[in-house]
Order: sequence, then structure tokens, then C-alpha cells
Amino acid sequence: MKRLSLLVAGLLASVLSLRAQNVRDLIVAEVMPTPDSTSLMDGYGRRSGWIELYNTSTGTVNYGGCFLTDDPSNLKKSPIPSWDRATQLGPRQSVIFYASGNGAEGTYYAGFTLRPGATVYLVSNDGRTVVDSLHVPADMPAGKSVMKKPVDIREKIFEVVAEPSIPSPAMVNKDTDSETKGQIMARKDPHGFILSVVSVSVVFSALALLWFFFATLFSPRKPKEKAAKPAKADGEVAAAIAMALDMEQDGDTYAAIAMAIHLYLNDSVHDAESFVLTIRPKESAWNDKSLNFRKLPR
Amino acid sequence: MEQIISSLQQFWEYTGVANCAWQNLVMIAIGLVFITLAIVKEWEPMLLVPIGFGMVIGNIPMFPGLNIGVYEDGSVLNILYQGVKQGWYPPLIFLGIGAMTDFSALISQPRLILIGAAAQMGIFGAYLLALTMGFMPNEAGAIGIIGGADGPTAIFLSSKLAPDLMGAIAVSAYSYMALVPVIQKPIMLLLTTDKERRIKMPAPRVVSQKEKIIFPIVGFLITAFIVPSGLPLLGMLFFGNLLKESGVTRRLAETARGPLIDVVTTLIGLTVGASTQADKFLSFKSLKIFGLGLLSFVIATACGVLFVKLMNLFIKNPAKKINPLIGNAGVSAVPDSARVSEVVGREIDPSNHLLMHAMGPNVAGVIGSAVAAGILLSFLG
Repeated sequence: MKRLSLLVAGLLASVLSLRAQNVRDLIVAEVMPTPDSTSLMDGYGRRSGWIELYNTSTGTVNYGGCFLTDDPSNLKKSPIPSWDRATQLGPRQSVIFYASGNGAEGTYYAGFTLRPGATVYLVSNDGRTVVDSLHVPADMPAGKSVMKKPVDIREKIFEVVAEPSIPSPAMVNKDTDSETKGQIMARKDPHGFILSVVSVSVVFSALALLWFFFATLFSPRKPKEKAAKPAKADGEVAAAIAMALDMEQDGDTYAAIAMAIHLYLNDSVHDAESFVLTIRPKESAWNDKSLNFRKLPR
Repeated sequence: MEQIISSLQQFWEYTGVANCAWQNLVMIAIGLVFITLAIVKEWEPMLLVPIGFGMVIGNIPMFPGLNIGVYEDGSVLNILYQGVKQGWYPPLIFLGIGAMTDFSALISQPRLILIGAAAQMGIFGAYLLALTMGFMPNEAGAIGIIGGADGPTAIFLSSKLAPDLMGAIAVSAYSYMALVPVIQKPIMLLLTTDKERRIKMPAPRVVSQKEKIIFPIVGFLITAFIVPSGLPLLGMLFFGNLLKESGVTRRLAETARGPLIDVVTTLIGLTVGASTQADKFLSFKSLKIFGLGLLSFVIATACGVLFVKLMNLFIKNPAKKINPLIGNAGVSAVPDSARVSEVVGREIDPSNHLLMHAMGPNVAGVIGSAVAAGILLSFLG
């Protein structure tokens, strides 16, 4: 039990350390400064500019208490409520903030409006550290956005694209003609050695972990002290063996006796039972339907 | 009269005879060979009969546009084929496999799990070879999984990575699974000495019901957290095993390992066979896939055997040495490859029974191939 507790504690610690993500993993992924008639409608039925934040990490990030601003001299311009439990952004997820000009309208409303030529900043909850920013070109027409398209999301390398063909609020920014994973692998690992080494390592790690767990948790128990047990049954067992040996002389009998003693001493005489009782239907005169039917007079 | 002749001409155009090409006849002949092997030689009859007959069905020449072919949207065969194309059938088969697999041999000797991992080298060996032969990485990954010797896994992965090659990959995987005794024995004999083949392993300990219940839960949590992309296969495999071992869901377990797996096996075999239409199947690519499939089996078997020999170098106690003849069982063709270990072992020493020991790496191979499929899917899917 102690070993199990240590194992579970170790696993939990490693998992928690891996999940220690912070707001530095957030980016300002896309901004639409001027809406048109096809743009997103907010909860009040209006169309306003919007800001999309994206979580680049594989862990959940709480952005409550952070700030949005378009003014580098006032980094605390529009606070994001820290009391709202909904300010959790899952891995590789995005969230939209409407730049309505009134942050009091809700958690997802910024206290400023957007205009072409502005820069949107995401500021950490200390109110000083700029986590990320995105500049909107001055000639950005209505209904168009500026976005960061991932080049290598693990390395956090992004390409800024102004006026993509279609704005993509609340979606991962990408080109429709982007490379498939197979094409990326063909370019990065043409001979396949990296993928092979990594994959073999992962297969071995997964199964080695399984081996480690079961070898640790269910290592074979040491044989119980059985010195007293044969002594207790000694008389009867010895008599039975002696009688059998007197009566029979063939090798099969000796083998059977030896096997029985071996199983007895190793406490493995019985199979593991499921301990589930089932009632199987048994045909008898009592439940025979033909005998229970009412006989019609002829 | 003209009307009658015209109708007859029209009817003639619709017949299989009028639309027949030599490729159709070749594929029908291959299907008939499969059926013959299954009935006469009893090689994997549960798979080769449906696949063989499916090949015959899929290659009956027909006039296009009647909406009856496996690749024509909305046809009966096409609807059944969606289970293969979308990857629904393989996880259901894994549910049944889980419900019929006894992991006792593995739990009693956890060290044998590693042999199941070593045998997965066949997958990546074939992947490397496929890349050198000009396949794209996603195609190479789908071809490599043939080395996992697991038909449902091969279908699942190829449906995601390279749907165009799925027919050839599935037929190749199932064919070589049926040929496991022929392929593995010479490799095992080649890589082991007479002394090694005579190693007697200690009897596995008795496994308690508690351990059997804990195994699918812990096994699932560990593997799924490492490779979530293998979730459909791993989840169903361990869930099926929990149904079997829990002791309180006997009816569900019996359904999973009985009627359910029978129905799905019939459908998967038939539709995979039907998907091998001559125009899509008879190509040089298919020949290359068959060649790579064979190599992947050879590599997997060799790696399993050699890995046991490597393990023996580190085992000081002679009584605990592992017989390398169980190394081949790391490929997950359950239980055929374990049976090969037993047969070859008894040919050398009739009193040396290796079946129980070989079942450990054998079922570990099932887990290993599902994990490997998950990794390939996450990199290439």
C-alpha cells in the first residue's frame, strides 16, 4: 500500500509539474478593428470589433486578472475579472473579447473600441508585463482582420497575416492550403529516423511503465511459512500416502500424489472463482409449458 | 422486333460478361484462393472466408452508375464500408478481443511486457523501408503497421492515414497473420542455439482476481495518458477486459466476445474484401505493400527473439532465464504466434511447454501495436 501511495504521489507530482502553465502561453491571435454587416454579433446584438486570445500551450491557463489595452501608457485600461471562474482557457483553445468600449458589460467585453492603426496589448495580472501584442495596419478595411498564423506552434513561431481571405474568430488560425502532417514529416524527417526513434522510445516507455507498475505493485509474495501446516495434517496425510503406496505401484500414482502434495504446499489447489452465483433454467415437469396448458375438452 | 433486340443489347451492356476485364478475373481468382486456403488449410477461416468472398463480390464487373458498388455513395455495400472507412469496426473488434483475452500470463510475469514492445520494431523497420521506396510518410506509417500483426489496428490506422491503400494493407496484414507459422519458424531457428531453445522457464504464479480487475484499469490509464491518440483502440480493449474480469458483467462480456465480434468481423472482412476492386488494387504499389508487409513480419519476429537474448544477458539466475523461442510471440497475432512458440519448443524438447509463457508477450504485443498506432496517428494523422 505504501508503494502504491508513493507511486501515485510521484505520478501526480509529475503531472502537476507538467501542467504548471501560465499566461505567458497566451497570444493575441487575431483582431478585427472595424466590423461589417457579416461580422460577429455580441450578446447585446451589436457588431463591434473583437480581439481573439489563443492558448498555445497544452495546459489550461487562467487569464482572470489580466488586462487588455490599446494604450501603452495605460496598461490597466481594461481589466479581465479575476472572480469569474469562466476565465479558464483550455489547451489550444481561443476566446473572443468584444471591443465595445464598456468593460462593465461583461467578462468578455473590453473597455475600449478598436480602430485601424492601433495596437492591442495583453498584459499580465501584475499590470506591468506585456505578454503579447498585435498591431493593426492603418489601412485595414471593415470586415477584415489581422491574425497570427502558426508556423511552428511548439516553438511559438507565428507569421502575422493582414487581411486573410476569411476572418476566423474562435478558430485556430491556419491556411486552408497548409501542409499536412505527412508533408511536414517528409520535409523535416525525410528518412524517418527521428519518428522511428521517438516512436520506439514511446512504445517502450509505455510498456516499461506498465511493467514497472505491476512488478512493483504485484511482486510475487514470498512463500508463506508452512512449516506448521504439514505438521498439523501430518498424521492423516502420511497415512493416506502410505496406504496409497502400499496398494499401488505404478508411476502415475506417485506422480499424482507428488502433484497433489506440491499443489497443497503451494496453496494453489483451487482455481480463482468469480463468486457469482447464477441460476440456470432447468427443464422439468414443473415448468414444462405443455403440462401447464389448460386441456380443452375434445 | 427491333425493340426486343434493342432491349437485349441494353441488357447485355449491363451484364458482368460485357464489362469484364482481365483484372476482375485476377482478383476473383485471388478471392477464390483465399476461400480455398481458409477451407482446405483452415488458415484464419474467420477472416479469409469473408475477405475472399468480399473480393469476389467487389470484383464482379458491372456497369457503373447503378449505385451498388462499394465506392458508390449510398449503396448498401458503401454504407457497410463506412465502418471501415471511418474506423468504427476496429474499436468494436478490440472490445471483443479485450473480453476474450486473459492477461494472467502477463500479470504473473510483467517483465515479458517488454518483449511485446521490442516486437513493434517491425512497424518502424517497415516504415523506414517504405520511405526509402518512395512512399509518403503517412502512407509509410500505414504500411508499417502491418508489422504489428494486428488486422483491426492496421485497418484503423490505414483508414486514417492512407485510405487509398487500405485494401492492400488489410489484405496483406490478414494474409501474413494466417502465414505466421510459416514465416516465424525459420527465423526463430536461425536466431537461436539448441541450448537456448531448451531453456525451461519456471511455472507462472497464480494471479488473483483482484490483480486481473486492476490490470485493465491501470493499463488503460497508463497507456492512454501517454498516447491519447490510441484511445479508441486502447479504451475498447481494456474496457472489454474489465467486462470479462469484473465478474459482474458476464452478459456484456459474453455479448462482446460472442455475437458482437462475430457480426463486426463478418462485416469488416466482407467490406475490406469488397474494397479491393481491381482498378484500385492491382497496381505495383500493392505489390510493394505486400513485400514490405512480409519484411515487417520478419523484422518484428527477429527483434522479439533477439530482445529476449539481450534480456538473458542481464539475468544472472539461470533458473530465471527466458526461452528466446517466446520472442516471436511479441507480434500480436493472438494466439497464433504463441502457438508457434509452443510447437517449436516441443519439437526440440517435448516436455517443454512454452504456451503460457508466450501468451505474456503475445497480449503485450496487442497493447504495444495499439500504442504504436496511436503514436503514428499523432505524428502523421
